[in-house]
Amino acid sequence: MNFSRCMRWLIALVAILCVVGVFGWYKFFREVPQPPFANEGERFKYGSIGAENTRGIPYWIWVVLPRVFPDFVPGPGGYKAFGVVWEPGQEIPVGFSKKTIGFPRIANNCAICHVGTWRASESDLPHVVVGAPAHTSNLQSMIRFLTNCAADPRFNADTLLAQIERETKLSVVDRLIYRFALIPLTRSALQKQATQMAWMNRPGWPDWGKGRDDPMNLTKYFMTSQPVDNTTGQADFPSVWNLKIRNGDGLFLNWSCDTPAVISVLIDSALGLGAAPDPTVPLDTLNWKFKRRAWFVNRMQELDAYLSDLAPPAYPFPIDAALAAKGKVIYAGETNGPAGKCVSCHDPGQAHTNRLIPIADIGTDRNRMDTWNQAAADQANEKVKEIGIIRPNMVKQEGYQSPPLDGLWMRAPYLHNGSVPTLSDLLAPVKDRPTAFHRGYDVYDPAKVGFITTGDAAARDGWMEDTSVRGNGNQGHTYGTELSDADKIALLEYLKTL
Amino acid sequence: MPAEPQPPTPPRRCCRWVCWFAGIVIAVLVVWAAARFTSDKPVTYAGNEDHFKYGSTGGERSSGIPYSIWMALPELFPQYLPGKGLQSLGFLYEPGKDLPIGVSKRRVQGIDRVFLNCAVCHVGSVRDTPASAPRFIVGMPSNTVDLQGFERFLSAVALDKDFTGDRIAPVIKRMGTDDWLNRELIRYVGVDLMRDQLVSLRQMFSFMDREPVFGPGRFDTFNPPKVLLNFRMDMLPPEEWVGVCNFPSIWHQRLREGMELHWDGNNISVDERNRSAAFGTGALPPTLDRASVRRTANWLLDAAPPPYPYPIDAALASKGKPVYAEYCARCHGASGTDFAGDLVGKVTPIDLIKTDRHRLDSYSFALCVNQGELYAAYPAERFQHFRKTDGYANQPLDGIWLRSPYLHNGSVPNLWELLEPASKRTATFFRGYDVYDQKNVGFVANVSHENEKAFFPLDTTLPGNGNYGHEGKAFGTELSEDSKQALIEYLKTF
Repeated sequence: MNFSRCMRWLIALVAILCVVGVFGWYKFFREVPQPPFANEGERFKYGSIGAENTRGIPYWIWVVLPRVFPDFVPGPGGYKAFGVVWEPGQEIPVGFSKKTIGFPRIANNCAICHVGTWRASESDLPHVVVGAPAHTSNLQSMIRFLTNCAADPRFNADTLLAQIERETKLSVVDRLIYRFALIPLTRSALQKQATQMAWMNRPGWPDWGKGRDDPMNLTKYFMTSQPVDNTTGQADFPSVWNLKIRNGDGLFLNWSCDTPAVISVLIDSALGLGAAPDPTVPLDTLNWKFKRRAWFVNRMQELDAYLSDLAPPAYPFPIDAALAAKGKVIYAGETNGPAGKCVSCHDPGQAHTNRLIPIADIGTDRNRMDTWNQAAADQANEKVKEIGIIRPNMVKQEGYQSPPLDGLWMRAPYLHNGSVPTLSDLLAPVKDRPTAFHRGYDVYDPAKVGFITTGDAAARDGWMEDTSVRGNGNQGHTYGTELSDADKIALLEYLKTL
Repeated sequence: MPAEPQPPTPPRRCCRWVCWFAGIVIAVLVVWAAARFTSDKPVTYAGNEDHFKYGSTGGERSSGIPYSIWMALPELFPQYLPGKGLQSLGFLYEPGKDLPIGVSKRRVQGIDRVFLNCAVCHVGSVRDTPASAPRFIVGMPSNTVDLQGFERFLSAVALDKDFTGDRIAPVIKRMGTDDWLNRELIRYVGVDLMRDQLVSLRQMFSFMDREPVFGPGRFDTFNPPKVLLNFRMDMLPPEEWVGVCNFPSIWHQRLREGMELHWDGNNISVDERNRSAAFGTGALPPTLDRASVRRTANWLLDAAPPPYPYPIDAALASKGKPVYAEYCARCHGASGTDFAGDLVGKVTPIDLIKTDRHRLDSYSFALCVNQGELYAAYPAERFQHFRKTDGYANQPLDGIWLRSPYLHNGSVPNLWELLEPASKRTATFFRGYDVYDQKNVGFVANVSHENEKAFFPLDTTLPGNGNYGHEGKAFGTELSEDSKQALIEYLKTF
């Protein structure tokens, strides 16, 4: 009698726990695959790289934050005000992915830094180029926006839910979940992120501005346990098309040749965005966490394949073919001697292309290079290995990489820190290069080959880069600066064809 | 046998009865209260036209004004109205109706609430002569309603020290529009809630202070959605400030599906355009009454304008037909019912049309992309078709005689003047008068007063009010006087 009553209670308890468990799984962990994408380009722009687990912001919170905190948004325009690429008709900007894991979440993907736009004139619409540097996006100001929101007393369930319920009718259960779990948890996660990012908010510290982040310090402080140091390494987002010519024995990627293989860059960048293959599970354990890691590695390989063959964008304005032909001779350096020989450092397969140019030779701003060190590289390698992912190891080098120049026209501003606005300025002696200009405005200047950086519109949409700020130095890479004006114009015309 | 002692049950039985009774009373009260305070029931209409004029879009759920307060306000605050009642703001009242055309009623939480619907901007009034009775015509642009004046009336009321429950409740009692319970709810809760809403509305709409006064028949279409998205209006670039434009006609939507809709042609989906406009009636994605709006949308698919009611010189009109075919048809359609033409419903670049560009510029790319978030909770309804354009869309001319004043900003009083170069168009004319001008084809525009009612002087020199553009040889302003007369006669047949 007693035993059976006991059993009955036990069964009831187990049943309740099962129901609670299934309910909890459904509401918080159930993974719904994203709807299929029309092509790999769309998937690159909006597809998940697996960051929704750890960095996913609950969808409705993400939607209403700019509406609840317009005073923290840098201008009228919701998330667009941060300069992100946003295609008309799309629910979310490029570089954001929406995925349901229990509840719909928003996270970022590679495209937040690697899709860019250009316009022919102020009245033109943005032309979106996949793989181009996101030169209009101000990631730092978006991070600071989230920090400010989380620190503000208005980040509470009453205020957020009032705004959310102008857009959707939440069920009673979902409202309770938002009120008691998602809103407070999101707030504390954002507050935690704010403390992790405190290093970039030190008083007087250089801003990233539009089109840049501090990649190796981000890696250092998030992937390794290296202490916060005095380095700053704000650097341009690079283009990521045509990666096949960047992969190979002895070739390096990242501005300071910090990484020897495309797959390593992809994996480390995705981990930096919060992609979360679980580190605590050994490789041979077949469970859902392992599946997620397998999914992650597979996704990275797919991206590798896609980006390896992604064609650079063709120059969209007229090119003077005869002039370009003259420029090609100068580019090849046959008439100018070694100083003007672009080809040996910038053509795929050449002796110096995708390889290190020592800092003493290149002479560009050394701050970015100094952010990385061997101890950080070792720790990062160890960390990735612990996660159970095999990839070529990062290294520490003293100098800057000499990249191939495919799609060069769309990679302005130039040098690793974007300190030189146009190619025409890059061919000018250092003393003649602009020392302050507005970057992040996407109307193109075919005469100087780069984006327009002066005038009211550029001032309104752009961010002013001051080359006297630490890390923004526009010195170095003086190759070709002594060419005649006629030769420079011819060379510029040829560079448009790349 | 000794008598059995009486069991002590009677008091208990009594107690039980009391309990039962109290329980039933409480249950009835709970059911009654639940029924009353969860009610959500619009006033419905059998006829489609009445549904259009008075049916609900669901806007009362989130933005509704208690019916009793609506009725009391003009009486309590006449000082904020230009004349007697809301009629003085151009609202159109049909005989026997206590609410004007364009105002719907719904009982929400036990209280009748009212708010605007589509018809407030899309029903107009026509009189043949000053002595004639007005005819209200559905689907034409409202030519009389001063929506901005109405917003400013509510804003003024909200800040008035007399806008209190104690002042309003006795008026409601006298009008008999609500029972005791609602009256007390309005007295102690409703008025305060409404004041909060109106004060925030006033603040939200302060962007209008940077624009010229709209007057009747016009509003700013695309600055309000920026407010809806809580954009920083104080940081808006000056070129976006002025978005004032005329209300459009809304007939023949079936033929317009796929055309570039709105004045600047920023959306090709009739349904999205409808939902976007429904925000203006207070309907948010969760509160939109889909069935009701669908009924209106379906009815508008084939709704048609009334034919021109005055004499048409058939011989003259037939002379105008080839002129129309040569100059107008490619952009404006083969006729008033056949919208064929390779540029019909397409945007003409601003550099060609050269009309006032303020309305175009007020719609920004940043707003365009943000609209992609709207209705995201209802994936089939999410806005996907908004685009930023660089001009104004060519409109079909169905019922063109009723669409005066002309151009997107209503800056040209009649068709005759539209065929004149801008230098000969009237620089300041009056809007809001509904007597028809058969000679020039449009509403009479040179009458400043009728009895105590003053009409609105539109100053075309103000930003956004420019009456230039749509001129030059290609636009017919260099035609001979005879050809113009013939063309206008032909346009009367649309």
